[in-house]
Amino acid sequence: MASADTPLAELDERALVDACLADDPGAFDLIVERHRRSVYQLCYRFVGNHEDASDLSQDVFLRAFRGLRAFRGQSSLATWLYRIGVNVCLNRLKAKSPLSAPTESIEERQFIDVRAESPPERMLKDERGARVRAAIAQLPRKQRVTLILRTYHEMSHQEIADVLGSSIGAVKANFFHALGNLKKLLGEEF
Amino acid sequence: MHLNAVELIDVAEGTRSEASAPHLASCDECRRQLTDLRAMMSTAAAFDVPEPSPLFWDHLSERVRNVVAQDVPGRSLQDAATWRRLLMPLSAVAAASLIVAVVLSSRVLAPQSGAHGDAEKVALRTPLAPAPPSTTGAATDLFNDPASDDDLSLTLVASLTADLDLETAGEAGLAPHGSAEHAVTNMNDDELRELRRLLNEQLAPSGA
Repeated sequence: MASADTPLAELDERALVDACLADDPGAFDLIVERHRRSVYQLCYRFVGNHEDASDLSQDVFLRAFRGLRAFRGQSSLATWLYRIGVNVCLNRLKAKSPLSAPTESIEERQFIDVRAESPPERMLKDERGARVRAAIAQLPRKQRVTLILRTYHEMSHQEIADVLGSSIGAVKANFFHALGNLKKLLGEEF
Repeated sequence: MHLNAVELIDVAEGTRSEASAPHLASCDECRRQLTDLRAMMSTAAAFDVPEPSPLFWDHLSERVRNVVAQDVPGRSLQDAATWRRLLMPLSAVAAASLIVAVVLSSRVLAPQSGAHGDAEKVALRTPLAPAPPSTTGAATDLFNDPASDDDLSLTLVASLTADLDLETAGEAGLAPHGSAEHAVTNMNDDELRELRRLLNEQLAPSGA
């Protein structure tokens, strides 16, 4: 139980959620600050561009805010936000038809990279990365979702099957075809 | 017999050993497919989300803060604090209309003084005030309805309008004849309870 003098930053997740529900100013801001990077990365992997990922991230946090009363603490706040994020992204993929390749502007690619790479190496890597993300964005929806959840979120086949409402065998087949199509889209260079 | 998609994925991910699939040793096609699968898995994993500008994170937090601050109508009726935030920015007339509609839907009080066409004066009271004697017997005092006693939000609204009567509201342009507010004052008990149920249902929060 948090006392009135306990700083927000020292509250555990349950107490922080309670603070949000008690209209404690800054409580939800702190939740956003702690989880904005992971939420953004999740959204970006689905839509492949910064602008849509930013919009989706906002949607995820708004839905989380509205559903705070439903948070029971049975899972971590990160997992709970993650499930909301996946649903938001899946709904976006369903609504956005036909699928279009993301267009990363030059500015989006020129981000600060703290790794020790020479500028030409970094530019080449950024270019290759942009091509890979563009190719993933062109995959059919279930193949894209399967590849993202398996590759970047290390979800089990069973968990992915639960998300997509399909079988483990179908998930593995989707993953197989996703990787095959990815190779066709990227060509021999990769 | 060639390995199918599921079997190739199992071998590529390491959940099944190559030794358990002896066909691989003798089939160039299956070995090529296995090599391609592993290469693409590595490629996809190697190129993740590019890092946005450091300024982006605070901007995202600001956007979320703004949209959350505007999301007041999405909150529950049970939240009295939310009702205050909802009502404060409204104009006086809009706020009074909303108050009359909600309060009259659950707090029909004093009996009407006459038949339709006579001047109607309905006194709105707090839940703790005693009910006036009914002269027509038609109006039912819902103050004593135990189902409504624990509704803090409606208690708050009722207390804010304790001194408001329908005649005054009408003179202010609120609840004119034919309006929704006016219709509410002519609902029977069952209709008023149903209206309140519908209002609560519409304004209930949705979980994720």
